[in-house]
Amino acid sequence: MAEEANFKCLRCGHQFKAPFSPKDEPQERACPECGSNSVRRIKEKAKKK
Amino acid sequence: MAIERSESDELRIGVFICYCGLNISGTVDCEAVAEYAQGLKDVVAASTNRYTCSEPGQQEIKNDIKEHNLNRVVVASCSPRMHEPTFRVACQEVGLNPYLLEMVNLREHCSWVHMHEPEKATEKAKEMVKMGVARARFLQPQIEKEVPVDRSTMVIGGGIAGIQASLDLANAGYQVYLVEKKPSIGGVMAQIDKTFPTMDCSI
Amino acid sequence: MTDVGRHPRIELMTLSEVVDVQGYIGNFRVKVLRKARYVDEKECTACGDCLEDCPVTKPNEFDLGLSTRKAIYQPFPQAVPAAFALNMEECLGNNPIACGKCLEKCEKECIDYDMQDKEVEIKVGTIIVATGMDVYDPTELDEFGYTRFENVVTSLEFERLINAGGPTEGHLIRPTDWQLPKRVAFIQCIGSRSEKRGNPYCSNVCCMNTIKDSLLIKNHWPEVEIKVFYMDIRAFGKGFEDLYKRSKAEGVMYIRGIPGDIREDQETKNLFLLAEDSNTGKVMEHEVDMVILSIGLIPSTENSLIRQLLTLSRTSDGFFMEAHPKLQPVDAPTKGVFFAGCAESPKDIKDSVTQASASASRANILMSAGKFTVEAITSLINEELCKACGLCARVCPYHAIEFDKEKKLPARVIEASCAGCGTCGAECAFDAVVMRHFTDQQILGQVEAILEENPQDKVVVFACNWCSYAGADYAGVSRLQYPPSIRIIRTMCSGRVDEKFVLHAFKLGAPIVLVSGCHFADCHYINANRWTQKRVEKLWDKLEKKGIRPERLQLEWISAAEGLKFAKVMKEMEELRQGVTLEEIDYTRKEL
Repeated sequence: MAEEANFKCLRCGHQFKAPFSPKDEPQERACPECGSNSVRRIKEKAKKK
Repeated sequence: MAIERSESDELRIGVFICYCGLNISGTVDCEAVAEYAQGLKDVVAASTNRYTCSEPGQQEIKNDIKEHNLNRVVVASCSPRMHEPTFRVACQEVGLNPYLLEMVNLREHCSWVHMHEPEKATEKAKEMVKMGVARARFLQPQIEKEVPVDRSTMVIGGGIAGIQASLDLANAGYQVYLVEKKPSIGGVMAQIDKTFPTMDCSI
Repeated sequence: MTDVGRHPRIELMTLSEVVDVQGYIGNFRVKVLRKARYVDEKECTACGDCLEDCPVTKPNEFDLGLSTRKAIYQPFPQAVPAAFALNMEECLGNNPIACGKCLEKCEKECIDYDMQDKEVEIKVGTIIVATGMDVYDPTELDEFGYTRFENVVTSLEFERLINAGGPTEGHLIRPTDWQLPKRVAFIQCIGSRSEKRGNPYCSNVCCMNTIKDSLLIKNHWPEVEIKVFYMDIRAFGKGFEDLYKRSKAEGVMYIRGIPGDIREDQETKNLFLLAEDSNTGKVMEHEVDMVILSIGLIPSTENSLIRQLLTLSRTSDGFFMEAHPKLQPVDAPTKGVFFAGCAESPKDIKDSVTQASASASRANILMSAGKFTVEAITSLINEELCKACGLCARVCPYHAIEFDKEKKLPARVIEASCAGCGTCGAECAFDAVVMRHFTDQQILGQVEAILEENPQDKVVVFACNWCSYAGADYAGVSRLQYPPSIRIIRTMCSGRVDEKFVLHAFKLGAPIVLVSGCHFADCHYINANRWTQKRVEKLWDKLEKKGIRPERLQLEWISAAEGLKFAKVMKEMEELRQGVTLEEIDYTRKEL
């Protein structure tokens, strides 16, 4: 299974999932809604109890 | 910062605003921009020209460099991707290092894209010139150095490509060192029987 | 090949490997390890006397193990240099008890068991990388039974089998019974065009190689029935389609569909292929005597060392990456280095020769000038400020920064290798890198000029010279209108955009900052814009931590042809700007 991460478009606010692994080479990303490249990966908050 | 302009170095900046026929002046009030530029710090000369890139336009830059003893030049006309080489040569011809030229892209980035807002375009043009002057203040002469190129080549790999490159360069008169890992050159090509499209022998 | 051997200006170094490369364009110093041949290359006449008594028998690599050779051998009859070589690891050695027989046989006394490897240093101006390729090993594709069935061979093995100089003297035989096969199947795309096993790319030569092989068989043995199982036949080159048509006219059957499975009849050793013809939708079993796997090409194992030594990059297929895929297809990103042949991508002989001549011509341009003008816009390291952290060297796409990890000496820029992207300048946290003609002061000066008056009304746009600035030019030429709040600052590469430029703009009251550069595939500085993205991502985190909306920093890849996109993005920037409140700007100024 390919790893996935959550992304948020900083232009239109759309949130989406896309394949992502920290080991991968950086790649060009675009928002599937508005096409903007201002796509930010939403990092998982460290799980704490 | 390693390269810092010494304070004693008096800045003498010349600003040249181009009309580009009506391409710029049709939208931007070039005279107002020149007047504004004249008021900027370190600017000793500001003028307009119908076509700065034309022979007379370039001559005016050269004359002003000499007359006003300019040590920085700002040309506000079209894209540096278009005429930077032209104006660099003009500077060089009168002894000014070509890297002391700064260009402001009034045409592609202002007059042509704000055609329906002449007032705002003029204000933007003024500020763009101010940006150019701000950058020009810190410009330094640069030298395009040369390094010698040894007239010999090393070809790594003795397959068909390595063989061809070696022969071409050796025949052109250069010393070639062809390095091959195996006991013979030939590579994969030598293993192949006939080759397409001519169906002749590989070796 | 023989021309190379006798050319007065070619020094042929066989059994040799490049072990170190120092220097830069025009002035490379290359260390070559010349392994001992144990036979005097100049004296040996390849008479073959030494072979007779050599007691060692080994598989012949040139025939892919289909024949044998001795420990002292000539790789193949037309070898250049035409001298024998002795494999010392296989040789029983010059021990009178053990062997030493070849020594006695050689009248010219060419054999020297004590020959030593030696390392030589050579100074050259240019380097041509022609390290070639390897062929795909089909073992992992077990359904084709390459390791299980003897009558399944690879296309390269087949080349040796039908070669007049090969182990069978050109008689086509199948391995199990040494008889002429009556029915032959070729299976295409073995190890190519597959996302799962093998490689995703097309290996370029295999279709034509099979067409050629089918014609060779038909020429000699017209009665042999030939079936070619394929996905697509790619016969795009000059004269290729003619060969394809000829092959079909000769009766070669082309079946669109790759067999899913091969089975062997244990008695006859015949093979059964189960395949669906996707043109008819019919699944059929085909019985053949012999199967030839048309194997793909893979990057040479040699490439990884050469890549390190010459600081080259690979494309995702593992082959070497060019300086530019369209405009500098034979130039390596390292100046003064060029590619020829399959090192850069799989190609046939004609294309290899073409590229070799092209690279020779490119090298010739440099060498005939005898000098090279170095880019004036290069970076410079202020040794006093350098903390020897090595970050600049790490991000340099050209490996133009020398840095010694152990000695902790200040980094040094090799100006002849620097292309002037300025990524090092953006990365340095100590302001120790001066990017000539795009210095911090020059860029910050522009930022300040924009934001001195009414900063809330402006959008600060950083645009790289080659793509997004050119895209803005194209928007202008096309008269595409966008809001006049946009202020563009040019850098050579988006990789030059330092964190502090962005933060300074926000501190001075900029509502929106846009960083724009080339699309990843178009970066003019190999891959410098990867660092742009990383830097922007870091800045988003930083802004958020300080309670500043990360949305105020925008990122966009705009090519020189995307004037429309540039204008569209500028309109979006203006909309975003209008959404930024004065309170927000005030807060940002205080926070930064």
